[in-house]
Amino acid sequence: MSAVLQSTTPTAEPVANYRLSLRRFTRNKLAVAGLVVVVVFLLFCFVGPLLYSTDQTHTDLHQVNLGPSGAHWLGTDAVGHDEVGRLMFGGQVSLLVGLAAGVLATVIGTLWGATAGYVGGWADAVMMRVVDAGIAIPALFILLVVSAITTPDTLGLILVLGLVSWLVPSRLVRAETLTLKSRDYVLTLRATGGTHGRAIARHILPNSVSTIVVAATFQVADAILLVAYVSYLGLGVQPPKTDWGGMLSAGLTAAYSGRWWLIVPPGLAIILVVCAFNAIGDGLRDAFDVRGRG
Amino acid sequence: MSPARTRLLAGVTLSACALLLAGCSGSTGSSSASKDSINYALPANFTPNWILPIGTAAHLNTNNSSISHTLWEPLVAYDGSTGKIGWNKAGSIATAADFAADNKSVKITLGDRHWSDGKPITSQDVKFWFDLIKANKKQWAGYSPGQAPDNWTSLKADDDRHVTLTFDKAYNPQWMLANELQYIIPLPKHAWDQGGDPVKTWTYLNNAAKNIGGYASNPLWKTISGPYGVKSFSTAGKVVLAANKKYDGGEKPGIPTVNLLPFTTTDAEKNALRSGSVDYGYIEATDLDQKESFTARGYEVKPWSGWAITYMPYNFNNPSMGPVFKQLYARQAIQRSIDQTTIAKVVFSGTAVPGYGPIPTGQASAFVSQTQKDNPYPFSTSAARALLTSHGWSEQSGVMTCTRPGSGASQCGDGVAKGTKFQMQVLSQSGSAVTDNMMSAIQSSLAKTGIKFSIKTAPVNSVLSQTPQCTASQSICKWQLSFFGTAGSWYFPAFPTGDALFQSKGGSNFGNYSDAKVDQLISASTTSSSNQAIQDYSASLAKDLPVIWLPEPDYQISVMKKGLGGFAQDSLANFHPAQWKWTS
Repeated sequence: MSAVLQSTTPTAEPVANYRLSLRRFTRNKLAVAGLVVVVVFLLFCFVGPLLYSTDQTHTDLHQVNLGPSGAHWLGTDAVGHDEVGRLMFGGQVSLLVGLAAGVLATVIGTLWGATAGYVGGWADAVMMRVVDAGIAIPALFILLVVSAITTPDTLGLILVLGLVSWLVPSRLVRAETLTLKSRDYVLTLRATGGTHGRAIARHILPNSVSTIVVAATFQVADAILLVAYVSYLGLGVQPPKTDWGGMLSAGLTAAYSGRWWLIVPPGLAIILVVCAFNAIGDGLRDAFDVRGRG
Repeated sequence: MSPARTRLLAGVTLSACALLLAGCSGSTGSSSASKDSINYALPANFTPNWILPIGTAAHLNTNNSSISHTLWEPLVAYDGSTGKIGWNKAGSIATAADFAADNKSVKITLGDRHWSDGKPITSQDVKFWFDLIKANKKQWAGYSPGQAPDNWTSLKADDDRHVTLTFDKAYNPQWMLANELQYIIPLPKHAWDQGGDPVKTWTYLNNAAKNIGGYASNPLWKTISGPYGVKSFSTAGKVVLAANKKYDGGEKPGIPTVNLLPFTTTDAEKNALRSGSVDYGYIEATDLDQKESFTARGYEVKPWSGWAITYMPYNFNNPSMGPVFKQLYARQAIQRSIDQTTIAKVVFSGTAVPGYGPIPTGQASAFVSQTQKDNPYPFSTSAARALLTSHGWSEQSGVMTCTRPGSGASQCGDGVAKGTKFQMQVLSQSGSAVTDNMMSAIQSSLAKTGIKFSIKTAPVNSVLSQTPQCTASQSICKWQLSFFGTAGSWYFPAFPTGDALFQSKGGSNFGNYSDAKVDQLISASTTSSSNQAIQDYSASLAKDLPVIWLPEPDYQISVMKKGLGGFAQDSLANFHPAQWKWTS
């Protein structure tokens, strides 16, 4: 009887599981460090400009390529923008696009994967062949084509990145759904007249949260890298906007000129944030991993 | 390795590569320089692909013609290879060109010259070229309706060493020499002619020229008149030229072997320079602060000035902004918002000069007017704002907006609707930090005037294909401004007339600028024997602003091994290997 109760009322256990997961996550020092790094960068990029105000719209050709000083902590770039302000300004685009595109990709992938896995049959076959076909086309190629056709802006990058990045999460969620849909509590719900939508909303998705959240963190990291790639190739957001990849690309012309402040800060920012999101993802995966629980 | 670890590694690798690049100081390799050879770096992304000294549209490139002119000398070499633009007789087959008193014909005298197979170069070889071009003019890249060969009515071989070319009317002799006769290249009729049929011969030669792999072996390309012949020519773009031992012209090769090296990017070329494997290469303006690192490696840095102007065409037929661009006061406001002096000094690191009109000003010439020299519209964003506000525009949310439509003196002008915002977009050439920085500077100063200027970038070929001549009803006519002038927008022949650029329906008049008075001035400049006509044209366009005038950058910042000398860099952007010499 207890076994039946356990299978038909799964919501109590997830709450306890999430507490356990949170405890496991906070014990993972690398993951916590990653979280701290992400929070610090979010504050730096979005709150920083309120404390360290710079003009990132207009150029100042009388203040170009200045080295670090009291007036400009990280110097200025080739058109006179303050580099610290530029890091904040560029970081807003990188983080916003990364986070939003990651979330968008995860949402689309989750809905697609859950539907395919739950419905099964020919619909599953067709939907997953669409995923297979999409994965066969390199995302960077699609991004470059779209960037060449349209004028890239923040919203456009979010949409394009989101629309090319949902394929992997959809596979993960579909696999999870295939195992969940044959669980007793799902079968019981269906036997007692519950609809398919209710089954997905009430049981499949809540019990896939761990997979979805882990996938989302990696999607964010991937999206930040993709934005950097596209901007590095000169097809990112257009001036006066920028992002870290664009800053890196612009700074590379100074690689032999000793103007390290144009290259190292955006490069480090990309390293730290991407590593941080990956560390968070690893921490979440370990925290949600049932097999690892002792 | 888990996917997460792979991602982590990818992220770290990307950034680490960037940091490594930042810290990398380059490597030094052994010098390739020897007294017997030279390694010359071709422009990035250019692969030589045409040997025939008659260009077709698909193979139109100044570097192709530089190579072919090294093999087959032109009748009249009118270029800047002697340090100033003029007729370089040492590099020409002709020794004299005597114009008739009425300027309706010219008698050309050929030097006592021979082909590499020992046969003499005669007037029949000149007529052979003439007949080929006359019969196939539409396939010839140099063809522009109404000009050569349309305005050449006949060519008569007077004897073996004299030809007389007759025109349809009187022409300015200097223009005719510099802009039309310079096309003529005597070709070896005895080796190339296919039964006296110029159409058949054209096809035969073009088919042979399509086989790049055969350039070094096909006997067709062995009968030459120039100082060098082809030793090897790879499809990847590397060309090796060997001195023509039978050459009897005035420009004897100074270095026996010339290696022309292709590069896919400027970075690759710069790395080759740093390694010492290039003797004559180039850097970008943004690299000038590394000048000492190149001089320490045994190089000299010498800017190569180009006979070119740089500009941003307006699309006067654009449905939304065309009516605004047609207003002279609006063009004046834009021009006055661009600080060319500072851009040339800071963004181009002093390797550009401000350009205020249609005549290149990087070098002194008798063609430029005082009006153009004086800059009729000096930089002042406050004056630019005043121009707009006095014509019915007021700033709303940071952008000037037309509030007084109409054609009155204090109104926005014909066709400009109430509520029209002064916002425009440029499709700009990508891949150049200098261009990106210039566009950012222009965007910034236009914003101070209240003009919103957005930038979209694309490779230069995309820019050219997406900004064609068009009519307002065509979907392709959405472009507003175009920029393709990272290394100069337009390289002129020696006589800088604007017939292709600014004459109504001119072949490269991308924005459809049209002004009857300017058309007359352009026509006068090609027919009048006085320079006053072209100076009037210069003054008129400096004031009328058919395009946005921008700083004129050097053609390239050359970096050459110390000891390489004895020549001037041709401002018409050709290279002349026969003039290169190792002086020490």
